Amino acid sequence: MAAAARALRVLPRALRVPSATRQLHSSPVCLKARAARVRAGRGDKAVTYEQAHAPHHIGHRKGWLSLHTGNLCGEAGAAQRAIEDAFLRRFLAGTFPGLLADELVLKRRGNLLVVCALLGRALPPHKLYFLLGYAETLLGNFYKCPVRLELQTVPARVPYKYL
Amino acid sequence: MAVDQDWSSVYPTAAAFKPASVPLPIRMGYPVKRGVPPPKEGNLELIKIPNFLHLTPPAIKKHCAALKDFCTEWPSALDSDEKCEQHFPIEVETVDYVSSGTSIRNPKARVVTLRVKLSNLNLDDHAKKKLIKLVGDRYCQETDVLTITTDRCPLRRQNYDYGMHLLTVLYHESWKTEKWESEKSEEDMEEYIWENSRSQKNALDTLLRIKASENVSNVTKEELLASEVVKNYRNSVIALKNEGETESNMSQYKESVKKLLNIQA
Repeated sequence: MAAAARALRVLPRALRVPSATRQLHSSPVCLKARAARVRAGRGDKAVTYEQAHAPHHIGHRKGWLSLHTGNLCGEAGAAQRAIEDAFLRRFLAGTFPGLLADELVLKRRGNLLVVCALLGRALPPHKLYFLLGYAETLLGNFYKCPVRLELQTVPARVPYKYL
Repeated sequence: MAVDQDWSSVYPTAAAFKPASVPLPIRMGYPVKRGVPPPKEGNLELIKIPNFLHLTPPAIKKHCAALKDFCTEWPSALDSDEKCEQHFPIEVETVDYVSSGTSIRNPKARVVTLRVKLSNLNLDDHAKKKLIKLVGDRYCQETDVLTITTDRCPLRRQNYDYGMHLLTVLYHESWKTEKWESEKSEEDMEEYIWENSRSQKNALDTLLRIKASENVSNVTKEELLASEVVKNYRNSVIALKNEGETESNMSQYKESVKKLLNIQA
């Protein structure tokens, strides 16, 4: 330690680095084995069909929430569609706060983007129609493609199981 | 829903599944233990899948009736494949790609394929052989079809123009005879030619020596070439070289050699 300090003093000024230390950076822990899984509890937590099934059930017991051609062999645009999907889910979760009964279903038919949402009945219909027009116009102007929102209301979240 | 309601007005275009509008008792999903699949109300699985409720047969009939006004009849003069080929010998193939997303551009769409049968082109023997040598792999011997695939330009129209230009240039170049083409040697020949070949030389030499040993008066080469036995031998050798070895070819060769050398049995 003292020898290193003496060696540093002997070095010409140009070679002396101000803070020659090493840091460690770690991101938050995200285990694959715990992704999108609702842990079993006392038996009073209602979960929907979507939440009750883990990701390995996709293709077997669950369908896909987003349908587009980007993931087919030889097709381009998968990354752009993924980013658009992420933005759309956050945007609509904010436009209908507390109303979404389940995940959004996104369908792309050529240029057209169809968003199917399952909402609760907390808002009166005229407010729902306003939010529908607002979301369609804003998203259409943002993504420069026709956006269609298909809303359905359910009295309450539909429970599949109680975990 | 009333029983006589028009279904094509409930689902005029492709739309998500609406449980209140579809009067069918559908259940979808994996059942809970000792239970049944979840009902259609609030069922996300039914909304996720594409449905064809807008394409029932009566709806499709209506679509066809509406589109009929925009259709034209197939020309009655083109009622067989041969007539189509006679009037339109060049086939141009292009592919359009449809995908979902905000961009319609696809670089694979610029590929253009031209197909033409050489029998439809006006080529003489030399021109046809020269054309086949020029194009190489692009000519198929069995079907007599020349296929030119172009994709070096960024736009489809440019690739089509380039393909037609290539066809024109090939046609005109194959009709020209360059000076160096006279140096075509035996290895370059596409098929076997008996005249001036080693086989002809050997046969004539052998026959001349036979005649000389029998002390017959000098027979000229032309007389020997015109004789029946030599003609038979020539045909059998040409058949063997061009068509390969078959039973009939080999027996024909055997007979002609026996006759040539005058061997009985």
